Amino acid sequence: MKIDKIILKNYRQFKDAEISFKEKSNFDLHVIIGKNGTGKTNILSAINWCLYGDEPNLSKDSRQLPLLNLKSMEEGDYGEDKEIMVEVWGKTLNNKFVIFTRKTIYNIYESGKNLPTRISSEFEVKVTDNKGNTEIFKDEESESQVERFVPKRIREFFFFDGERLDNYFKEATGQNIRHAIFEISQIDLLENRVESRLSDTLKDLRREAGKENPEIEDTRSQLETNEKQLKEFDEQIKECNKQIALAKDKIKDYDEKLRGIPDIEAVEVRRDEIKTLKQQKKELLDEKLKEKENLLFEYGKVVMLYSPIKQSIKIIEEKRKKGELPPTQDKSLLENMVKEKSCLICGRPFDADVKKRVEDLLKEIKLSSEVAKQLEYMEGPLHNFEDKVMNFNNIMQKITKEVKGYEDDLADYEQELIKIDAETSGYNSEKIKDWHKERKKFEDSFTQNLQKLGGIDGKRKDILKNIENLKGQLDDELKKEKKVKKLKNQIDFCTKALNVVKKTKEIIMSETRKKIEDRTKDIFFGLLWKKATFKDVKIEEDYSINLIHSLGYECLGSVSAGERELLALSFTLALHEVSGFDSPILIDTPVARISDEHRVNFGKIFSEVSSNKQTILLFTPAEYSKDIKELLDVRASNRFALKLSSDEKETRVEVL
Amino acid sequence: MSNIPDRINVEKGERDNLYDKIELFKGKSRKEQFLFAMAIGFKNKVKRRLETTDGFFLIKDMRLEDEVLINAIAINDFNSVEVLSNKEDVFKIAEEYAHAGIKLLYDKMKSTQFGSFEKQFEKDIIDAYKELNLGEYGEKNTSS
Repeated sequence: MKIDKIILKNYRQFKDAEISFKEKSNFDLHVIIGKNGTGKTNILSAINWCLYGDEPNLSKDSRQLPLLNLKSMEEGDYGEDKEIMVEVWGKTLNNKFVIFTRKTIYNIYESGKNLPTRISSEFEVKVTDNKGNTEIFKDEESESQVERFVPKRIREFFFFDGERLDNYFKEATGQNIRHAIFEISQIDLLENRVESRLSDTLKDLRREAGKENPEIEDTRSQLETNEKQLKEFDEQIKECNKQIALAKDKIKDYDEKLRGIPDIEAVEVRRDEIKTLKQQKKELLDEKLKEKENLLFEYGKVVMLYSPIKQSIKIIEEKRKKGELPPTQDKSLLENMVKEKSCLICGRPFDADVKKRVEDLLKEIKLSSEVAKQLEYMEGPLHNFEDKVMNFNNIMQKITKEVKGYEDDLADYEQELIKIDAETSGYNSEKIKDWHKERKKFEDSFTQNLQKLGGIDGKRKDILKNIENLKGQLDDELKKEKKVKKLKNQIDFCTKALNVVKKTKEIIMSETRKKIEDRTKDIFFGLLWKKATFKDVKIEEDYSINLIHSLGYECLGSVSAGERELLALSFTLALHEVSGFDSPILIDTPVARISDEHRVNFGKIFSEVSSNKQTILLFTPAEYSKDIKELLDVRASNRFALKLSSDEKETRVEVL
Repeated sequence: MSNIPDRINVEKGERDNLYDKIELFKGKSRKEQFLFAMAIGFKNKVKRRLETTDGFFLIKDMRLEDEVLINAIAINDFNSVEVLSNKEDVFKIAEEYAHAGIKLLYDKMKSTQFGSFEKQFEKDIIDAYKELNLGEYGEKNTSS
């Protein structure tokens, strides 16, 4: 089915608008251009609201805005009822006309005081065949008509935001694809209606058998408990996988956000470490400088007094050479003997001859004993001073080197601090810290769920083993009990049927997966502008999608946003084909994430897609760049511009 | 024989106005301060008579090596070892050099910019060492 037109009355920005999607060229392509805030996304919402009664693509904030057009609300009188209506007109392949109409009546209160109150709502579907016979469907019947157009559960593959294309394979790939294939295959019918009914019947039959024999009842009860537990484990595994996928996505998101941004928390820890190290080094430097100052003080005076030190050493050495040092006679003793005229050692008085000889001897002695003694005392310390001066250079070099080492370290720390400041300046530290915290939270969740998954998986295997054993045991017990022969046959039949259903489910899923894989590959390579770069597209058994580079490696993670979006678009188109629902594709902001160089390629791709499928694209003026405009203006069947009124309460749709 | 003095003197007021104003002397004993001032005076070949005296520290607090430095200056100044027999003269010479040296040091400190005195002090000592013309490892450089 194609959408023929949409009529909007009092719906959000659209007080009274009609958008016709009649095919006028070879391309069933329709372009709507509107600035942000003009209601572009609300066209997508209007279709959802009309068909399904909700607006899942709107943000929470937007959903809280009144559904009733503001101008209409203003114009209405106090207490007046106003009707919101959206009609989607469609035409099926067998030329039936279908009109989906959703109306809601709101009662207006005094402006500015209260929001309008919803009074009533109705939805009807009018189907007119090619002979002019019209049927009107309401309530459940009308909903089943919608299901024939685009079933609610798969609408997300038909009407969506362009960003979804970019994110599709970035987010929990395997899960998304499995979900899509599951929905498209409509296996839920088999699962919900056949499998669960058979399971219930099987349980009932076993219970019946259990009533006949306590042993059977005991085994049955155990089996049921185990099966219940298995189901619980399966649910837990599903939840774990969901949490793991979510955590992976979030980690990727935060990695993207944090790319090139320093880890502020780690940087701050490092900054504190450096500050502490710097402080410690500064203290060591101060100590070393003090040590150097003390050395300079201590050695300085000796250096300055080096010449008298050397002179004194020289004098002492000369006196030693001359034999004046150490003194052989005590000059003062001799002086006293001359004075006393007697020997002060033996007491013998001096005669004239002895006196003269002592006086001559005294003349020969140049150093007084006191001076000689002092010179002798001085000799050792003087040599020590001399050694000190000789060592001065070495000691100063050593300590200067140490000081320089500390100063260099300090300069390095300072440089690192400056670098950190430069790295972190201009960033919102708190926000970045929050991002890191959030990232850490998801990292923890990822690890915990992975561990949990491992644990559950082990238990699940045990339970499965138990179930198999209990089934065997129950089978043996049923065989032994003659009273339940008929029941056993029924149980056997149900078990076999259930196995067939399960197998069928797997086969359908597998076949659908294969079909979608083949079609995705065909569409992707048909539309791709770089034909030689890739060689294959694969949807693996775990439902992860892989793009294979011509050189043989998997490259989905490293391709451009344009290539990734094309793959997602190809996958979506493949889903359309395989689903059997020939419905339009409506994409809001289709090239928002595409770089300028690939936008034209996408313009061509959308044109090509529209030659087989109704394609409605909602662009912002910035997206609808010159290149795209040149390409699509001539091809599009219809082009519309959304213009907001000066009071910003109404959007008009202008045909371009 | 002369009387042996029991203390080393400085000019009155010098203790408060000069010695205690020199940052470099903080934490140093009076004896150390005095010997350093004496070395400065000697290095600059300038000594000044003390007009007044104020006891700075007791002789008994000096160690042998401190006295050796004072003696060496006296020997050099008198060009005779006999000066050592007159301790009054020996200490007087030391006091006169210290009296001149402390003034020189103080003036230098005042004339240098804040924070650069330590650098200047280091440079002066290194220059004094270089003037001794000792080799890299302290051996006399005979080539110059």
